[in-house]
Amino acid sequence: MFYQTRLRTITLILALGFLAVYASFGSYFAREIVIEITILAILAISLDFCAGFGGMVSLCHGAIMGISAYAFSIMSVKLGLPSVPSAMIGLMAAVVFSGLVGWVTARTSGIFFIMATLAFGQMAYTFFFKSRWLGGDDGMGGIDRFNLSWLGVDMNDALVFALFGVAVLLLVYVIAAILLRSGFGRILSGIHSNENRMQAVGINTANHKAMAMAASGLMAGIAGILAAQHTLYISPELLIWTVSGEVLLVVILGGIGTLIGPVVGAIMLVMLKHELSNYTDYWHMVVGMVLIFAVLAGGRGIFGQIEYWLITRHSPKTPHLPPAKEKDLA
Amino acid sequence: MLEVKHLSKDFGGITVIRDLSFTVNAGERRVILGPNGAGKTTLFHLLTGVEKASSGSISFAGKNISKMNAVERARVGIARSYQKNNLFEHLTIRENLMLAAAAATGKSRWFFRDVINQADMKTRIEETAEQVALTDQLDLMVSAVSYGNRRQLEVGLALATKPALLLMDEPTSGVGPAMIDTFHQLLETLPRDITILIIEHDMDLAFSIADRITVLNFGEKVFEGTPEDTRGNPTVRQIYLGGGDGTYGATNDHA
Repeated sequence: MFYQTRLRTITLILALGFLAVYASFGSYFAREIVIEITILAILAISLDFCAGFGGMVSLCHGAIMGISAYAFSIMSVKLGLPSVPSAMIGLMAAVVFSGLVGWVTARTSGIFFIMATLAFGQMAYTFFFKSRWLGGDDGMGGIDRFNLSWLGVDMNDALVFALFGVAVLLLVYVIAAILLRSGFGRILSGIHSNENRMQAVGINTANHKAMAMAASGLMAGIAGILAAQHTLYISPELLIWTVSGEVLLVVILGGIGTLIGPVVGAIMLVMLKHELSNYTDYWHMVVGMVLIFAVLAGGRGIFGQIEYWLITRHSPKTPHLPPAKEKDLA
Repeated sequence: MLEVKHLSKDFGGITVIRDLSFTVNAGERRVILGPNGAGKTTLFHLLTGVEKASSGSISFAGKNISKMNAVERARVGIARSYQKNNLFEHLTIRENLMLAAAAATGKSRWFFRDVINQADMKTRIEETAEQVALTDQLDLMVSAVSYGNRRQLEVGLALATKPALLLMDEPTSGVGPAMIDTFHQLLETLPRDITILIIEHDMDLAFSIADRITVLNFGEKVFEGTPEDTRGNPTVRQIYLGGGDGTYGATNDHA
């Protein structure tokens, strides 16, 4: 069950602050890293929402992101719609797709759920890969960023766009946190804990899980729009299942079921990747070892493990954050 | 309140409930007795819609609910506690009760507002905790409380939905004498606007709280009456104590 504890709020402020400072005072390359981190972190929050709190370990979140990116690009490039309505349609496409995946797969669980989502993701990937109208495996370009000149800022500036990404990451975190603290989110955690009992007290758990997948799809969709506007070009590579796998890795690395953990995980993975690739082509091995260590250390992930230490230091019998400590998001 | 007519259930070729009919009045405390394998828990599965009956009908509050699924039946006010603990593990007792109460009051569709600190919910959670004597344990994890407390919570989860009909499947299974007294008290203090069907093996408890007792054996109703009548009934005595005169064996061919 989710609580926006003080520790999580502090970690969120530190993480976002770090990204903003790193982008502001870093090189062009640093700004690219920041935007890469924000996209990955948003997608990881989206996955943690359904996997960490609803028990739905999806392997199609890359595809959901890609569908949003494609729908957005089709609307703006092929049909010439302005970027904001195009983005809305992109998000709707992501919500519909993930809601459909959720609806179909809600009665399965565990390995069957994972395989079913993988199948959906691969179907979407194949569709875009084969589509000549959308450029097939060459992808499509000609995408524009949001026009924020009325605010006096130029989105084509790397710093502005990086800070925009950080702001969107904050927005997605707040959306996820509010949903998880609501009656809807509480019941979702209840389903994760004991689906059978949740039905016995009158919850249609299949519908509820489908709605949770749709909500998760909205967040993944936001990552997709950001990804399309970042590179101004999209290709079916966004939808490959390894993208979903990498997001799952980020969630586990940071701490599944903590919401802020995935943000920490995204920062760590991207930074590690860029730092290590200066020294070796085998940076994946180092990341792999970090992941194995994180899993062996209790599976709580990096943030999750630190949080666990801090809590159990005070009350060893109840590894749980009491609601009294909760600070309202507002 | 609850009307069961000619209810039957087969699993493959085995008949677990056979042509069972009975009526429970509003506010009644009805105890279901029967040896292991008599079909008591299966009867609860049929009443809550977890299993579909092979034939027969179930009416609740004047409505035929035979075709409803488990979720719909929970929503019309039928709640159940389980013989084996079926709780929300890894959560606190407060969160457990909150989940049941939120589910029963349609708060699963609250997308923005929290339900834990909401006034109505708070009262309901605390009221239920008091009913099942868990007030002091509210903020403990389920894994941190005793088995007896978990049995109390098992009933609490059903009560938090404010049911009209409460089905209790052996609430005292596996608990000690002191805890049985706690349940005795709980059952006596529950308001009469809750109708209760209870499967209970502790005879003292069963006979003291029951208005009427229904005895099942091999899926059939073999007796129904007041506790006094039940105590004196030779068939019931035979089922529970075993009869050496062969009369019971004559009905044993159902197995």
